[in-house]
Amino acid sequence: MELVPAVFPFIPLSIVLPLLGIVLIVFLEEKFAKWIALVFSGTVLVLSLVSLFYFDFSQAQKVQFYQSVTLIKELNLSLSFGVDGLSYLMYILTTLVSFVAICWSIKDRQINHRLKEYYAWFLLSESAVVGVFTSWDMLVFYVFYELTLVPMFFVIGIWGYKLRLYSAYKFFVYIFVSSLFLLLGIVSVAVEHYRQFGKFSFSYFDLLQNQYSLAFGLFLFLLFFIAFAVKTPIVPFHTWLPDAHGEAPTAGSVVLAAILLKMGTYALLRFNIGLFPKVAVFLMPILVLWGIATTIFASWFTISQSNVKRFVAYSSISHMGFVVTGMFLLNKEGLRASIMEMFAHGLTSASLFMMAGFIYNRLHSFNMQALRGSIRFMPMFAILTAITGFSSMGLPGGSSFWGKFLTIMGAREYTLQLALLVLAGAFFSVLYVLYLLKTLYLDVKEESMLVHFTDVRGFKLVAFLLVVVPMLMVGLLPFLFFSFFDTHIDLLLATISKSLEGGLWK
Amino acid sequence: MEMKDLIQIETPKLTLFVPELIVLITGFVLFSLDIIYKRLSHTLAISISVIGYTLALLYLIFNFDLRGETFYGLYVRDSFSSLLQVFMILLTIILLAFTLQYQKFKRSLYGEFYYLLAFSLFGSMVLASSYNLLLIYTALEAVSVSFYILTALQRGDFTSKEGAFKYLILGGLAIALASYGAVFLYIYAGSFDLRHVLHFNAPDKSFLILGLVFFLFGLAIKIGVVPFHFWLPDAYQGAPTPITAYMSSVGKIAFFAPVLRVMPLVQESFHNTWILAVGTLAVITFLYGNFVALVQKDVKRMLAYSSIAHSGYILAGVSVASSIGLKAVIYFLLAYSIMGMLGFLVLAVLERSGDWENKLEDFDGLKHSQSFMAWIFAIALLSLLGVPPTVGFLVKALVFMSLAYGKLWWIGILMIIGIGASTGYYLRLVMLMFMKEGERRAIANPTGFEKASMVLMAASLLILGILPMLLWNYISPTSEMLFRR
Repeated sequence: MELVPAVFPFIPLSIVLPLLGIVLIVFLEEKFAKWIALVFSGTVLVLSLVSLFYFDFSQAQKVQFYQSVTLIKELNLSLSFGVDGLSYLMYILTTLVSFVAICWSIKDRQINHRLKEYYAWFLLSESAVVGVFTSWDMLVFYVFYELTLVPMFFVIGIWGYKLRLYSAYKFFVYIFVSSLFLLLGIVSVAVEHYRQFGKFSFSYFDLLQNQYSLAFGLFLFLLFFIAFAVKTPIVPFHTWLPDAHGEAPTAGSVVLAAILLKMGTYALLRFNIGLFPKVAVFLMPILVLWGIATTIFASWFTISQSNVKRFVAYSSISHMGFVVTGMFLLNKEGLRASIMEMFAHGLTSASLFMMAGFIYNRLHSFNMQALRGSIRFMPMFAILTAITGFSSMGLPGGSSFWGKFLTIMGAREYTLQLALLVLAGAFFSVLYVLYLLKTLYLDVKEESMLVHFTDVRGFKLVAFLLVVVPMLMVGLLPFLFFSFFDTHIDLLLATISKSLEGGLWK
Repeated sequence: MEMKDLIQIETPKLTLFVPELIVLITGFVLFSLDIIYKRLSHTLAISISVIGYTLALLYLIFNFDLRGETFYGLYVRDSFSSLLQVFMILLTIILLAFTLQYQKFKRSLYGEFYYLLAFSLFGSMVLASSYNLLLIYTALEAVSVSFYILTALQRGDFTSKEGAFKYLILGGLAIALASYGAVFLYIYAGSFDLRHVLHFNAPDKSFLILGLVFFLFGLAIKIGVVPFHFWLPDAYQGAPTPITAYMSSVGKIAFFAPVLRVMPLVQESFHNTWILAVGTLAVITFLYGNFVALVQKDVKRMLAYSSIAHSGYILAGVSVASSIGLKAVIYFLLAYSIMGMLGFLVLAVLERSGDWENKLEDFDGLKHSQSFMAWIFAIALLSLLGVPPTVGFLVKALVFMSLAYGKLWWIGILMIIGIGASTGYYLRLVMLMFMKEGERRAIANPTGFEKASMVLMAASLLILGILPMLLWNYISPTSEMLFRR
């Protein structure tokens, strides 16, 4: 891969600025905490948007804004940051969603104690996630990947709902233990580089040159896959997610669903397919079917939920099923669908969780029955919810449309039957959104429960608009986003076909 | 060997030996003062100790490049011994900030504490710098005897005496085994020098194997490797908490040092046996340590088991008899000495608050009453668990790396299970401290010195994790040097 050095340290600044914010929050009074957090995450958002003008979209497969500092020369361990098209999109999603989460928290009634810690944890998580998406040193990637656990663990455990301790514990244990496999995988890959080239290296670019036999590649692939399958999550490994997302405070769920899940799928794409293309091809049928199964099962789980937060949480899993399916189709449409769906789901899930939190603030209940017809008297909220719902469903013009449509297209390139299977998944995912919308809009509440709710306004409206407007952009102007990652996909597909020269079994 | 070589008189190069000498003299000064003045001022004793240790430390740091052998090759000063000694002395100085308050609270102020500390430090320093079996044996005795007495220092307490007694019996057995092993090795090679013994090639290797097995078993008991660990939880729990901290850090470095000197000398033909033997012990150790720690209700005992588990991780690195393994192990040993010590020291401070019993319930909502202590303890625990960016993560990654280098996947996978189990108890403590509301209010007030040392140690856990090259640049050449021997 080619590297383009940075003209301005956008990425390191995006990592350091939130940390600086934490220092200020710790040393200043509690009443300033939220504003400091808002200002710093806002600055990072602006920074990431300004960087759009410096990013060369015609060469999006190259790693741009690249900067590197060596830590240990002997092990080739370095802090190296940069973005190519794929990570750039994720980087912008991260800065956007982090800002939205903090913006939301300012007026959230749940958040009324230990404010300093709260905002410090959110800034730390922003910094860590930016690190995840932009590091090109595998060990540093792992450090950031694990670091995201700590803030979310505390956020769930301190400001969560009833089952918060259990959920926080479960969340941490699941992800931490599964990531240890990733750690073993990363160091094995680095050692393998030593065996083949005579020097240790954790640099992604160096590790791309490694060649593996199919069996050993499969072993390493699995080490990576366990971690990311739990993180993504794929169905039998998903049980931590409804608990964590369901019990976290609203802003925590937003960050968890919108960006932390993307770490799993991003890493699957970057590392599992990037480093082991041969194994990915070998396992393709299983993984595609697994992805489809995830979608279908998760959709069924979703419909059966009576808690609206768990409902949204399960719906995230079904979307992740699409991402995994599309990714492992390993053709252009599939990969496009996958990346597009990652971004789109980041927006819709954030919006859905905010919606659930918003209703909770008024009703003090997450129960679907209590929710019935609660959309009345809140016109602005109704509009936002409708857009989010239809986007999440995959209505043409909605953001998830491209993910689902292109996945079906990609599957059609193989066989019609596969495409029909994907279609079945898409069908069920429409079903649950419709069910949610029906509960909110069409069901009528009993007279006694009719309360006059105040509509969404102020900071919360800003938070909503910040995700709803990009949602419409994804739906209506998809070519803007394709330009981020199309070249990257071409490069990836070229790598895959090159790795297959000489046959799969070599 | 010619007669001429045997009778050659060597002038001892005392410059190599100065840090040990300073520590030894400090010990004797404290000893005489304690005998002469019945009621020795503790502040004075601490000041003398700190001045002595600081002098030794400064000498070491300014002469860090000092290399050589003296006393006819009995004593070796190389970068390995200097590196370990710097850590030992530093940790001992830090420890002295905690002892007085604790002993006052427990009403166990005794003057012998200070010179025993000095003697054990002396023994540890010698252990880190010798290849000679006899000297290792003597130094082991010096450290152990001090440790027995230090463990029993809380005279009114039954558990303290029980722990010390167990330690005495099993420790005595260990030393007997080690000396027995030394004799076998002497029979094999006609020398007490490990370098000579392990490079010696006789057709019949049975005495070498017997000797090594006995010698390493002795050390294994001292370290607390699992089938030989029974004294450790009792002694760690019974000992006054600062002493526990001392044994788990300086003691651990000292007892591991001879093992690390043996590791590079193991011949190629022995590698498979070495991997199997040490690897199996390592696996048993960390699995047992972690799973037993998981069910402990007493936090001090829990940390004692966690100390066993960490010995297991270190042994896993030792089992890879290669340079990268040694690097990982040295880094791990030094990192553990900081984080293990910090964990126990936090307990030492907390124990000073009234009816504190180190039970899990005592930690409920510690964040509300003792915010500072809770944060420090959380950093220590997360580091012990291995959460980045603490140094605990980095060293585990390095051990994984050495396992991958030796293609020991089975140990790697089992280690993941071990660490997974350890998540249970470390995280539970963090959760209790930060997320629960407790009725109990800890009232311990750490003094300024204590606060400063705890902040220093916690910060070093983070700094060594974020900027690994600070320590790595010393460890890497050291390991290469040991492998060239």
